[in-house]
Amino acid sequence: MRIEAEKTGDILIVTPMEKSIDASISADFKARMLEEIENGARRIVLDLSHVDFLDSSALGAMVSALKALGGVGSLAICGIREPVVNVFKLTRLDRVFRLYEGRSSACSVLSGNPGEEPEY
Amino acid sequence: MGKGGWTVAKKTAKKTPGRIDTPEPAFLENTPEALAASMRGHLRYTLGKSPDQVVTRDLYMALAFSVRDRLLDRQLETMERYRKAGAKRLYYLSMEFLMGRLLGNNLHGLRIWDQAREAVESLGGGLEETLEYERDAGLGNGGLGRLAACFLDSMAALDLPGFGYGIHYDYGLFKQEINNGFQREKPDTWVEEAAPLQMERMDLAHIVPLYGRIEHAQDFWGQYNPMWMDWQVVIGVPYDIPVPGYGGNTVNYLRLYKARPSQDFDIRIFNQGDYFAAVEGKIESEKISKILYPSDTFQSGRELRLIQEYFLVSCALKDIIRQFSAAHENFTLLPDKAAIQLNDTHPSLSVAELMRILVDEQWLTWETAWDITTRTIAYTNHTLLPEALEKWSVSLLEKVLPRHLQIIHEINQRFLNHLGELWPGDEDRARRMSLIEEGEDKKVRMAHLAMVGSHSVNGVSALHTELVKHTLVPDFYELSPGKFNNKTNGITPRRWLLAANPDLNDLLEEAIGPGFITDLNLLRKIEPLADDPAFCEKFLAVKKKNKEGLARVLFDSALVRVDPDSLFDIQAKRIHEYKRQLLNVLAIVDEYLALVDEGMEPPVSKTYVFAGKAAPGYRTAKNIIKLIHCVADVVNRDRKARDLIRVCFAPDYRVTLAEAMIPAADLSEQISTAGFEASGTGNMKFALNGAVTIGTLDGANIEIKDEVGEENIYIFGLLEKDIARITAEGTYRPFEIYRGHAGVRRVLNAIRDNRFCPDDPGLFAWVDRYLLSPQDRYMHLADFPDYTETRARAGQDYENRTGWAKKAILNTARMGYFSSDRTVREYSEEIWGLKPVPKP
Repeated sequence: MRIEAEKTGDILIVTPMEKSIDASISADFKARMLEEIENGARRIVLDLSHVDFLDSSALGAMVSALKALGGVGSLAICGIREPVVNVFKLTRLDRVFRLYEGRSSACSVLSGNPGEEPEY
Repeated sequence: MGKGGWTVAKKTAKKTPGRIDTPEPAFLENTPEALAASMRGHLRYTLGKSPDQVVTRDLYMALAFSVRDRLLDRQLETMERYRKAGAKRLYYLSMEFLMGRLLGNNLHGLRIWDQAREAVESLGGGLEETLEYERDAGLGNGGLGRLAACFLDSMAALDLPGFGYGIHYDYGLFKQEINNGFQREKPDTWVEEAAPLQMERMDLAHIVPLYGRIEHAQDFWGQYNPMWMDWQVVIGVPYDIPVPGYGGNTVNYLRLYKARPSQDFDIRIFNQGDYFAAVEGKIESEKISKILYPSDTFQSGRELRLIQEYFLVSCALKDIIRQFSAAHENFTLLPDKAAIQLNDTHPSLSVAELMRILVDEQWLTWETAWDITTRTIAYTNHTLLPEALEKWSVSLLEKVLPRHLQIIHEINQRFLNHLGELWPGDEDRARRMSLIEEGEDKKVRMAHLAMVGSHSVNGVSALHTELVKHTLVPDFYELSPGKFNNKTNGITPRRWLLAANPDLNDLLEEAIGPGFITDLNLLRKIEPLADDPAFCEKFLAVKKKNKEGLARVLFDSALVRVDPDSLFDIQAKRIHEYKRQLLNVLAIVDEYLALVDEGMEPPVSKTYVFAGKAAPGYRTAKNIIKLIHCVADVVNRDRKARDLIRVCFAPDYRVTLAEAMIPAADLSEQISTAGFEASGTGNMKFALNGAVTIGTLDGANIEIKDEVGEENIYIFGLLEKDIARITAEGTYRPFEIYRGHAGVRRVLNAIRDNRFCPDDPGLFAWVDRYLLSPQDRYMHLADFPDYTETRARAGQDYENRTGWAKKAILNTARMGYFSSDRTVREYSEEIWGLKPVPKP
């Protein structure tokens, strides 16, 4: 699975470069996310702007990442397209993840800017 | 932004450079020349045929594509008209749409029949021969599915924004073949030639989640957040079949969904390298829309059937929400813009699905969502048979639709709380009305879900509605009497008069002018002509011609030669015990024995025709088909009887066969046990085509009697209240009837003595046991004496040619009430709140 990761301050921006994250690659995706957390990432923005389709295993990987962060970190999601929003709504995960339109909003809130509320 | 108002980074739609105007080329005109030009274009560029290669199939395909062009043109205009008007829309959700052949009907709808004939002839073909090529779209079992098709026709004819939503089955109801008198089922592959009749809309596909589990979590605010995880997904791809109203000004559509594997299937094949596993997954997904389940089979517990029902509901609801959201943001407006009609309980998961969408996806409160849901959805009950009321096991629902089961439990809890406030301490009532049937294997009662989640519950004939209210679900009626209403079924005169019986249509037009085809009450104008001998002769001549046509069909399909001058007595409908084909057979045997054993000739020569399919797993129904064939064999071979009585079973009853049979009938058999037939619509089709009914006071027969007058219908048999009383008291004693009635004895003894199965003794031993059992809930023998006497009276009356013609004409004249235009108008005004949006 192709994933790009870059750091902006103490925020790690993870960008899957796949159009679809499904059962065939979600294990890789999950492993990579957990690896980043194990390596110390505590504030993560997941940029899904390249993703058209997520299946439930991909959502499961994200939930695992969120759980791995526990109370000591935060995960925000940005760049989300309509079909992907729909699966978040379907699963009610839009009440668990912070969803933002653009990277800057997501980074801003993870940086502790109190003016940025989740855009759901 | 507020809750639920997530802004989506939408893909930038590629804009087409320049502007595409609606094309108005000459080839879309309705002249014969334009149609022929259109057909030539499709022959060459759609089918890739040069003129010397063209065969009938090609002509059919080219004509169908040419007609589709015209329909799509008008459909686009209609949708734009609805959009501009901000019209409320009706979504008719049905697991079945028994459309029959479409092309001929569309030619009538667009009023281009004659032009099409000229066009086809100019290309060297014949129109009838070309139309014969089409296969029936048999996506239904019987009345329920055909009703849905008639409603679509009427909604379009009335310029109402009404749309059908169903499943695009690869295999419709099975093709029935008869082998040595036994029914054999063969697959019906209508879909192979359906391309020119429909339009795939991949752009409007939806994903449908299935299976998975609920993760009990908390949301940002610490509230309980049930998350539906680990689901699998299939894609529902819609295929639109245009539905033209008469005249073609309004063209609605029937949207049928086909299941496909999720869009990542192809990617997975290459990524995983496990080709076979991936293909197996693909086949699994596609199974969902593979076959239509025959009714009367044991469906509960069949996981695939449950998935089919949810597949329809999920696709339809997503589409409804998509259409609504295109123009509105405030979901409290949904009931003002959309009405959903559930055709029986099959789509009743709609209640839970709409609640899930509103609560889970749109973040509405439960109370607001419930108000919207119950003001949007309405439910039609179609059956009084307790065994036909759907129930799904809680464990299966939990496996397939875990979130929906949670929602159903929540609906039920609130409903039971409400009952507790109204009737404190009445636990019996709560148990009877609960959405959940308690027991070892708990079940969800789908009819209860539909009733609780709807603002309207209707029956389909006056009697049926009363029985729904007072017998089937009296507790629910007591709780919400205002919800319950009657909408007596109807039939579309475009299909069942204009298309099926063009000669009668022409005669009526010649007599009273046009207009009745869209206002069937105008047929009353022919009443005075029932006393006009010249008109009677013309009416009988049309009937004779139709009988000659059916005689050819019967010879071709069943190898039985029949006399068009004999009385055609027809029973055509699904084979079912309550419809009592068996009673008809007994009466035929009675007449046969009277003739050959006692020399009592019937007053007129008679041809008895049966047609209908038995569900593949319904053994008694299949045994009845065998019995009919064996009786037919004996009677038709007996030299003493064959000129006076003929019996024929026409195989593979379907809409197209009905169109040949119904116009040819003199007597229409509607003989169900009173209280069992919800309405019937065959009864209306036969009567409209000038057949006189012999029937019980059941379903819509009662209203037919009220309309045509007692002197123009043959009514016999026990009343519903008699049947109910005898059943309740347990006082049905068929053996006493057997002992006391010589005719019954003679018939049963002959069957028992293997008179109709000399080479296979004991084959019909079941008949005796069945009919003499007090457990025969359809009480065949109780009605036998009255039935045979009434049949004899009808036979005597038939001898009087003009007297019979008068009855037949008055039946036709007085069928206005049974137009589905009337039914749909009532639904529209009293349930849906729809307004016509005619072309200016």
